[in-house]
Amino acid sequence: MSNAISGIRILPAEIDVQRGGPANDKSEFLETLQSAMDQVETAQGAAETKVADLMNGNGMDVHSAMIAVEKADLSFQLMMQVRNKIVAAYQEVSRMQF
Amino acid sequence: MNLFGMLEISGSALGAERQRAEVVASNMANAQTTRTAAGGPYRRQLVVFQSQRMPRFSLALAGWHRASPAVRVAAVIPDARPPQVRFEPGHPDANAQGYVAYPQVDPIEEMTDLLGAVRAYEMNAAAVQAAKNMIQQSMELLR
Repeated sequence: MSNAISGIRILPAEIDVQRGGPANDKSEFLETLQSAMDQVETAQGAAETKVADLMNGNGMDVHSAMIAVEKADLSFQLMMQVRNKIVAAYQEVSRMQF
Repeated sequence: MNLFGMLEISGSALGAERQRAEVVASNMANAQTTRTAAGGPYRRQLVVFQSQRMPRFSLALAGWHRASPAVRVAAVIPDARPPQVRFEPGHPDANAQGYVAYPQVDPIEEMTDLLGAVRAYEMNAAAVQAAKNMIQQSMELLR
């Protein structure tokens, strides 16, 4: 589950190509996006660990596992919303006529 | 504190109420226990709740202490009331006069406490649900 998100992540080579351009302030946004993705991944990892602990009978509380899953779900939903917004903005720009 | 902090607070309350229900269940199970590892009859247990600030180092560093406190079980203490004695000369734990010391566990008291714990759990679960809905509502703003 945790590998799913890291697979989406932009490759370091692509970042270098983008940074090579004149507009260097783009990288800040990219870093923000990446740290947000990392946080989503962390939340999913925590949820996974807690659910595994619950299933293995390691004395994990049901409610804390459920809350961790909820957090991961909501973080992922937020990430998807932001992604949809970015893609929509990109499409809007690409449709621009001069 | 963000909306996820609200989830954390409600989660701590769920844990505390679960432990309270556990202690009540233990009291009910041991209502007739006359032998314990410490000697003497079982002592009725009580939970003591304490409010607790969420450890958020970055916030504390910034001098931001207004985060709402969560709850935790500070201690599980034995009830100070003396055990009730019954005249049962045939019992192996009877004293020289034929009296057996039984735990001071009142079934009505325990049932009330259990119901209270269950209701409080429900209440905090509703708060978790509300926090979840609030987060989802705020994400709707982006649509």
